[in-house]
Amino acid sequence: MSPRNVKLVFLREVRDQLRDRRTLFMIVVLPLLLYPSLGIGMFQMMTTFREQPREVVILGASNLPDAPGLLDDEGIRTKWFTGGEADSSKLRILHDLVTDEEADTAADEQANDNRPTSEEARLAAAAERRRQLLDAARSIRRTVKDSKNKVEAVNLAFRESGIDVLVLVPSTFADGLNQANNAIKQGSPATAYPGPVVISNSADEKSMVASQRVSDALRNWEKALLEGRLKAAGLPADIHQPAQITRIDVAQTEQLAANMWSKLFPALLVIMTVTGAFYPAIDLGAGEKERGTMETLLICPAYRSEIVLGKFLTVMLFSCGTAILNLASMGFTGQYMVSMVGQQTQMAGEMSFPSAAALFWLFVLLIPIAALFSALCLGLATFAKSSKEGQYYLTPLLMVTMGLTVFCLSPAVEITPFYSVLPVVNVALLLKGMLLAPVSSQSLYVYILPVLVSSAAYSLLALWWAIELFGSEAVLFRASERVSPRLWLRHLMTEKQRLPGFAQAILCFVVIMFLQFGAMGFMRDMLSSGDPSTAMHRVLVVQQIFIIALPAVLMSLLLTSSVKDTLRLRLPPLKSIVAAAGLALVLQPLSFELSASLSGWFFPELSSELQEAMQSLTSGQTSLWMMLAVFALAPAICEEVAFRGFVLSGLGRSGRTGFAIAGSAAAFGIMHMNPQQVFNATLLGLVIGLIAVRSRSLLACILFHLIYNSLGVLHASLGMHVSTGGIFKYLFRHEGGMLRYSPLLLAFAAVIAYRLIRWVANDTPQPATDGPLENDSQTSLTTPISVTQDSHPAT
Amino acid sequence: MIQAHQLTKEFPDLKRGRVRALDNVSFDIPEGEIFGLLGPNGAGKTTCLRILSTVLQPTSGTARVADFDVSEYPADVRRRIGFMSNNTGIYDRMTAREMVQYFGRLYGMEEDALNARIDEIFDVLQMNEISDRLGSKLSTGNKQKVSIARTIVHDPPVMIFDEPTSGLDVLVARSVLETIDSLRDQGKCIVFSTHIMREVEKLCDRVAVIHRGEILAMGSIEQLIDEHEQPDVEELFFELIRKHDQQVAAPV
Repeated sequence: MSPRNVKLVFLREVRDQLRDRRTLFMIVVLPLLLYPSLGIGMFQMMTTFREQPREVVILGASNLPDAPGLLDDEGIRTKWFTGGEADSSKLRILHDLVTDEEADTAADEQANDNRPTSEEARLAAAAERRRQLLDAARSIRRTVKDSKNKVEAVNLAFRESGIDVLVLVPSTFADGLNQANNAIKQGSPATAYPGPVVISNSADEKSMVASQRVSDALRNWEKALLEGRLKAAGLPADIHQPAQITRIDVAQTEQLAANMWSKLFPALLVIMTVTGAFYPAIDLGAGEKERGTMETLLICPAYRSEIVLGKFLTVMLFSCGTAILNLASMGFTGQYMVSMVGQQTQMAGEMSFPSAAALFWLFVLLIPIAALFSALCLGLATFAKSSKEGQYYLTPLLMVTMGLTVFCLSPAVEITPFYSVLPVVNVALLLKGMLLAPVSSQSLYVYILPVLVSSAAYSLLALWWAIELFGSEAVLFRASERVSPRLWLRHLMTEKQRLPGFAQAILCFVVIMFLQFGAMGFMRDMLSSGDPSTAMHRVLVVQQIFIIALPAVLMSLLLTSSVKDTLRLRLPPLKSIVAAAGLALVLQPLSFELSASLSGWFFPELSSELQEAMQSLTSGQTSLWMMLAVFALAPAICEEVAFRGFVLSGLGRSGRTGFAIAGSAAAFGIMHMNPQQVFNATLLGLVIGLIAVRSRSLLACILFHLIYNSLGVLHASLGMHVSTGGIFKYLFRHEGGMLRYSPLLLAFAAVIAYRLIRWVANDTPQPATDGPLENDSQTSLTTPISVTQDSHPAT
Repeated sequence: MIQAHQLTKEFPDLKRGRVRALDNVSFDIPEGEIFGLLGPNGAGKTTCLRILSTVLQPTSGTARVADFDVSEYPADVRRRIGFMSNNTGIYDRMTAREMVQYFGRLYGMEEDALNARIDEIFDVLQMNEISDRLGSKLSTGNKQKVSIARTIVHDPPVMIFDEPTSGLDVLVARSVLETIDSLRDQGKCIVFSTHIMREVEKLCDRVAVIHRGEILAMGSIEQLIDEHEQPDVEELFFELIRKHDQQVAAPV
């Protein structure tokens, strides 16, 4: 690869993008214009915005005690609201003490004067409205008293009344309160008395908010009532606070700001880098095809990898540029606006700019995330045959990244070793932590290396994918094909190959995953019937057979011409049997200890319910044979049929064995839902894949899987019965209710495993005993991976 | 300079299954010769030339260009050819000069030599007037000139022109043909595909008539006309295609 060519392509693409008005607009003009204009718009909205006051009705106001008085003529006294005037003005409070007279006066006035002025008419209308509300309130009070099916009946009446909060004061309230107060004063037990009832509907947002305000006022008023009661009884005012707790909040303004930025910036950074990468990528990939310059570029001596790298760097530059400009513009606009609006409030302090250290981390972490999205977008853009098709890929990409970022925004989610290697999540969480640095003292520096390394790995993977696509004839010269399911099905049926294709292998995996997801409800129902442990066993076997094995078998029958070759149904050579059995024996202790050493700190702990369920599976009354059948035999056969049978054959048809083994191992891993098992299964998948390819026999894989899982079952159920005395003390020990393997045994196992893997890997694959291989290898040349619906170019 | 040996190319197609776009095509072109590929649309001309320019991989068969195998040393082949077709457009947001300069640099030319070469080509092709104009503002004829300049900027020994005159008016087409003619005199090995008989008559030393991916006849024009007892190239062409279609239709 020549850096000169990469640089040439890069400089040309950058200049090209800078000459494109659309790109310039998206990247420079839009952020500079958008946020200030949004700010102006928000100012205007704010000046015209007024919260509509909510209707509150208080019935039985005369039954309230006189001191301290809850109400005045206007409604609830402003002093009871914590927010004072600001809160009380958002409620329109009506009570049955004053309003009747007022309404009457208004009505009288109307009767006296035959030509009402507009002011009088308004008053009359208001009086009418008050009367209606009071009537509705009284009818609700009757429903509350009489109705048997209270909530439902009241709900209906309440919804129709137009009242947001209704307070009912029972007629005996003031008397009851007084009697109780007197009783307490005299030191005798107080009799219970009915208190006010507050009716609201928390499903209705307006009612909920109004109810919160009313409750706040009532709480403050109740506090005053209590004080009165205590005073009358000669008790200290703080008698209800025996613990005398003092609270100190040490938050400083810049920390409050850091808290806010840590919530905002990671999400914005992710979204801005995606959008910033997307549009230039589409122009550089699909746009080049569309304008007919792709072939011009392909016939120049530069390698495809140089071209892709040059384009990738361009996209990345614009991705970073967009993110920085957007964040800066948004930050400055936001700060300016807050300083304008909130000079009196505490908000102004909260918006002070993030510290220099935080900004430094923002720039550092911008690079890996921009690299990942740039490579992904370039891959998608290369695949698309037109800019229009390219645009369609933005929505799914955005949805996935938004989902991940929303997850990271949740305050409870912090970076852990496990999250530090997940794409997107790792950068978002580390940045969140770094921006919070002035608040939390937790050291995040240990995560920087894993985050950067894993992000770089994901970016390289995506870049490799983009280069692969760029080298694929079928992708570069993809012509529009008529959408015709009939033709496509016929094509699948008539043009069957000996082995499944790449896309079919992926389809098989997707079908398995979807079936698993879809069958969750069904399985839960099955679990809830009968004895939990037998039900669980039944569910597991059904899942293995119908969800994992059946799709693979059916697809082999329908889509391939040789089920035997696809599923590798032939006897393994003796050497493979020995190797498979030996590897299973030595890898089980290694894999067990590896998971044990990683769980807890690297992988999140399983929830306690899941742990209990797992334990009940193995420790129940079930016989050992039953457990071996459920946990060893069924998965050994079914999972191998699917993953080393159909999926591995499909991925490997194009001749890239290493890629196929890695792909099938990853698929095998992902199928095991929890992260710990995903990790283990992926590693084992690599080994079994190697065995499958070298032995060309599924039976060897089944043997490995059977022995490995059986050892696991035996370890869990009989482990504690294994002697650790005598010579065994060098091999095993009991710890935490489990049998643990000694370092000596592990070292021995590791050496054997290494030798066995070398032995298997150096083996050349068995020649095919049947079926013309030549034919197959020829088709693999002409059928590039990843596309089934490709078409020939114009000739 | 170009040796093609039993080139075959197949594409998967939903409707028709596997389509054979090129079927056992062999030819040998020495330097200083213009070799014409004459065939109707969809005959396989573009596929054949794309294989020679290493953009497509042959399903079977081999091809050597300037002594390099197209499958094994694609970059070396690309460095030694100039390729121009309908599908090799020019960049909209680059001026004519920038465009030629960019490709000259990608071909690894030294800056001084490149600029001298560009000055020379722009003089010959009378492009000085348009050298600072953006690609999007150029007329079809001028775009074609930029493409030709791009094709010959690195002075390659082998040049491949895929229907270089399609969509051009008579004047521009004529000047394009004249340019190609002058390249032969410089000793270049030139492949030229077209469906226009007159161009073949005027320009080509040898011609291959290609139809449905197969070469039906190959040789100098006089030779072919004599062999098949036809009055001119046009009649020859129709006769060959008619015969072939009859053969295909007739049950064996």
